[in-house]
Amino acid sequence: MGKEKIIPILALIVLVLSGTATAYIYATQVDKETISINGEEYTIEQLFYLAESKTIETVDGEKTGASLEELIPKVGIACPSCHEYTIRAADYEKTVDWEIMRTGVLSDIKKVYFPDTPKAFWVGDIIEIEVK
Amino acid sequence: MKNLKLLAGILVFGSLWGFSEVIIGSSIQDTGLPAGAIMTGVFAIAFLVLSRMIYRQPGMQFGIGLVAGGLRLFNPFVGCHLCSAIAIMAEGAIFEIIWYKISLDFSELKNVLMQGSMGILSAYFIYIGGYIVTQIVTPIAAGATFYVENLIVVLPKILSSGLIAALIGGVMLPTILLAKRIDIKVKDRIYYPATLGVSALCWFIIIGNWFLA
Repeated sequence: MGKEKIIPILALIVLVLSGTATAYIYATQVDKETISINGEEYTIEQLFYLAESKTIETVDGEKTGASLEELIPKVGIACPSCHEYTIRAADYEKTVDWEIMRTGVLSDIKKVYFPDTPKAFWVGDIIEIEVK
Repeated sequence: MKNLKLLAGILVFGSLWGFSEVIIGSSIQDTGLPAGAIMTGVFAIAFLVLSRMIYRQPGMQFGIGLVAGGLRLFNPFVGCHLCSAIAIMAEGAIFEIIWYKISLDFSELKNVLMQGSMGILSAYFIYIGGYIVTQIVTPIAAGATFYVENLIVVLPKILSSGLIAALIGGVMLPTILLAKRIDIKVKDRIYYPATLGVSALCWFIIIGNWFLA
């Protein structure tokens, strides 16, 4: 089969594949009010009650939220530095170690910010923080 | 002399692409539109295909990506500058791979179906390829660890977000190829000052913006 046939067929496959992925994304959207941390569900208000608010300087300016350094021990993680943390949204996640985690804040829009990481680590619409 | 001409071409096209990413890309991002997909579908495809059409030199587009990505690093105030810079550099390399089997006179792309299809394939794979590369390289470049499971989770989102780039690319490529009909010859005494002047202007504005911000 020549390029004249292969290229249009491949283009069609790409459109079908990306269209299916888009449908999948919409079908699996999660609208969750709480954040699960280590298996327990918390509202954002509860998390802000548990940890002091602090402001950090990022490449995008100042960001304020609940200190993760303070929050993680308060949700029952006895040895925070012994674990890694997967911060998860419905369609995105990032895993960080304690050295990064402890520098971050969780904002009231359920988004984590870190002062010294690229923005790819700033997970928004968080539904879960898995402690590994 | 030919190599010097190519170098000047790499510099000017890379600078224009990087400038577009920083200035126009940032403005699109502010409006909430999918800036990455639009930038790839419109500007990446335009600059990469135009440079291929004018210079007919494989390998050049990789260099253009390196220059554009380098320029993107000088605008750390908007967006994820490291992620974007890595993605742009990867996009140039992926373009080279996709277009490796396409002849330098584009003789295969003689009708709109072929041109549109090639535009779809190019924009889609450049975009998702850049996205995947940045997901792998950014954590490592930032001194963190790359986790395969993080990439697997985000794959449906990546495959989905490439749809917009693909659709734009499908329209852009036939449009750009219309420029094949225009025959412009630029003399050397104009070519070098023009390419270097345009490149310098792009860098001056971006770096000036960096110091002023």
